[in-house]
Amino acid sequence: MATTLKEREVVIVGGGLSAGLIARKLVPLGRDVLVLERGAPRSGSESQLPSQRDELRWGIQRGLVQRENVETYTLRHTPEETALPMRRLLSFLPGFGVGGGASHWNGQTWRFQTTDYILRSHLEQRYGKAAIPSDMTVQDWGIRYEDLEPYYTLFEKLFGISGKAGNIKGVKQEGGNPFEPWRAEEFSLPPLEPSEAGLIFKAAAEKLGYKPFPMPAANASRAYTNPDGMKLGACQYCGHCERFVCEANAKASPDRLLFPFIADKPNFELRTHAEAFLINYDKADRRVTGVTYIDTETGEEFAQPASTIVLGSYVLSNTRLLLLSGIGEPYEPGTGKGVVGKNYCYQTISGVSVFFEDRYINPFMGAGAYGMVIDEFNNDHFDHSGLGFFGGAFINATITNGRPITTRALPPGTPRWGSAWKAANAKWYLRSFNISCHGTSYSHRGNCMDLDPDYRDAYGRPLLRIAFDFPENDLKMSLFVTQKAHDIAKATGATIVGTPAPRRGPFDSRIYQSTHNTGGTIMGADHATSVVSPHLQSWDAQNLFITGASVFPQNSGYNPTGTVGALGLRLADDLISYLERPRFL
Amino acid sequence: MSEQSLPPIDRRAILKSAGIATVVLPTIGAASRAEAAEPKPQIAQAQPPAAAAPSSAAAPGAATGHQFLSLDEVAFTEALVDHMWPKDQLSPSGTELGIATFIDRQLAGAFGQGDRLYAQGPFRMGKPQHGYQLPLTPAQYYRAGASAIATACQKRFGRSFERLAAADREQFLQELASGKVKEGPLDLAAWFNGLAYPLFVQGAFADPVYGGNRDKAAWKMIGYPGLPAVYNQDVVRFRGKAHPRSANPQSIQDFS
Ligand SMILES: Cc1cc2nc3c(=O)[nH]c(=O)nc-3n(C[C@H](O)[C@H](O)[C@H](O)COP(=O)(O)OP(=O)(O)OC[C@H]3O[C@@H](n4cnc5c(N)ncnc54)[C@H](O)[C@@H]3O)c2cc1C
Repeated sequence: MATTLKEREVVIVGGGLSAGLIARKLVPLGRDVLVLERGAPRSGSESQLPSQRDELRWGIQRGLVQRENVETYTLRHTPEETALPMRRLLSFLPGFGVGGGASHWNGQTWRFQTTDYILRSHLEQRYGKAAIPSDMTVQDWGIRYEDLEPYYTLFEKLFGISGKAGNIKGVKQEGGNPFEPWRAEEFSLPPLEPSEAGLIFKAAAEKLGYKPFPMPAANASRAYTNPDGMKLGACQYCGHCERFVCEANAKASPDRLLFPFIADKPNFELRTHAEAFLINYDKADRRVTGVTYIDTETGEEFAQPASTIVLGSYVLSNTRLLLLSGIGEPYEPGTGKGVVGKNYCYQTISGVSVFFEDRYINPFMGAGAYGMVIDEFNNDHFDHSGLGFFGGAFINATITNGRPITTRALPPGTPRWGSAWKAANAKWYLRSFNISCHGTSYSHRGNCMDLDPDYRDAYGRPLLRIAFDFPENDLKMSLFVTQKAHDIAKATGATIVGTPAPRRGPFDSRIYQSTHNTGGTIMGADHATSVVSPHLQSWDAQNLFITGASVFPQNSGYNPTGTVGALGLRLADDLISYLERPRFL
Repeated sequence: MSEQSLPPIDRRAILKSAGIATVVLPTIGAASRAEAAEPKPQIAQAQPPAAAAPSSAAAPGAATGHQFLSLDEVAFTEALVDHMWPKDQLSPSGTELGIATFIDRQLAGAFGQGDRLYAQGPFRMGKPQHGYQLPLTPAQYYRAGASAIATACQKRFGRSFERLAAADREQFLQELASGKVKEGPLDLAAWFNGLAYPLFVQGAFADPVYGGNRDKAAWKMIGYPGLPAVYNQDVVRFRGKAHPRSANPQSIQDFS
């Protein structure tokens, strides 16, 4: 029997990026906010020398992320197959503990393109209704880029993004991304120092007539104080960024910039080891009444009543919690009916390696978003007529790390062991890098999530079951953009150009491809085809709000977190208005 | 919608091949327990096996101070890593580098005991892309694979892997990695590519605190400078140039 606790005004499930952005706004205005986070506060050793630099512990054995023996996901490639559990989570790494995934992310911080928000209308208008495959279930978001622009700007200021603007209020800026949607201001900080690989990539891209620019980074190029007075140090290019908590306090993250800002306020509580498993739902009244959670240290169950609930527990938990709680109609891929679990998307990533006999790349001097990029072949930046696919990718040379277990590119034909293999490692480790394509993932009728009938978590509750494979559209897209990357690779003058590796199916759960899962609780203007409204309010419960990439109807060619941040900040403003006068917004 | 069913794993055959009568799978109760185990670097023992404190007399391989591997598994593992990481002008051999020690400690420790691994049934055969699906802990799995390989080598060459000539070892490993060696119920290519090979690479390149990469020899070989990695100035100073610390890497112990 769960112990019932005293009611709280706003309860946020998940203590990551979304929770931090919302609490940061509501708490100073006097609102009572409780965050329930299943993991622990960071202990400190993750970010201290020498243990911070332990590749085996944090990078390979994934010491900071969700433990799959407690909760994993089951996978099938089509809804007709039997799903099997991913007994090790390798292809994506859901965050766990205060700060969530955003405490150990890369920091590649993008705005989505104006066409992303109106994707279906845009494609229909440009290419005609008939051009869109019938199983491509892309949708409009119910908002426009303009609705989010002020929140992107605020997010980039709070997180001190380093970069170069390409388009300030419609005026193109030299050195920035010429395809960038308009922005109100220049970035908070100048770009990171370009790497050798970045300069090589830049020269090759320019030779082919492209317009390379530095990747927007949440790795601070110099010390920074944000509008809340919270501070970042300068990035040390240590190469222990993604999967690691920053040692130099230079990576913008919720546990550094957001929670500490409000930590001492009496109307704020961050309760750790609190794993939510049920949102209590009064279906007749179309309201939620509280969250039931387990204290993972004692095993005790608690019912936490709340007058307003926000789900910010990442894509997979957001979706699973709705399904476990019976809120909204589960999606059925056979009929296309229902919405919860619909339009699961991912990221379509590919690349090609280059090797230089006579140049030092020094990959160990890296940072999570230490990249040079071109955007010519992303999204709908180029004419897709007659190509047989939609979408695209940004192409980049990003030196994230030279951690030696993980990052040792070898030329094609190198044996996998022995003296020749050792010699190839010795020869190429310092002298190679990858040119990669970070591509769109467009929704498909069969790609979805529901509850698994067979497999359970450590507490006996059904695991989330993911049906996913790369749709034909995305595979064709990957082939196309990887060819463009190959062209750039050849133009670098590399001694050896590797074998281009476009993404191929079936989706392989053994290989890390990004923690950019999206969909499942998608937003939209129409109740029949979405889970939350354009204000992220549940259509099925007025006092329930859901945020994170679970609301994306499909995924763009950019990394998701800039948009997750903007959506979270916009929701914070909506919540202020809602709390003053509860209603359907 | 009818679900296409997958063949069940022949669990009994696999357990038998692993030499396990009754399996004790890692069970999970309160998550506090699930969270407890962390990989433990063993600074005090990160020395050559000869100098390491012997483990309890009853433990397998006690004489060499090994923690999990039995003596014949030690012989196999050392032969394997010496073949894959031969002594040459670039570095000492795999065993001298400590790769076998690393593998032994990993199998004895949290990783080998199935820490983090989702170990609930039902167990079914999946596609390779589903990843590891067996009911064995990594330590049990390593043992089962090593035993199947011993049998396969006996049948084929009349002797164990460690007694093979270099050319035979090479041919055998090529065939093992590409799925041509069949012995018993295990998919031995999946064993090699999914367990043995990653452990081998980790043993070579992980921080020496875990028992491999002794004297940072693998880091010196490739030019990875290790710690402390504070390059705010160096990204400009050494852009496109050899970094002086590539020749003289530092590891966790240098800072402890
Ligand atoms: C290695 C890595 C690199 C990445 N790099 C980038 C990048 O360069 N650019 C980019 O845009 N994105 C990147 N991401 C993704 C980024 O981390 C996420 O988009 C972002 O953190 C999402 O924010 P969120 O608030 O939705 O979830 P999170 O920040 O992950 O927070 C969710 C929190 O909810 C908690 N939670 C989950 N379920 C429950 C439950 N049932 N009860 C209680 N609490 C729960 C989790 O423990 C977690 O702390 C990366 C992710 C990883 C793992």
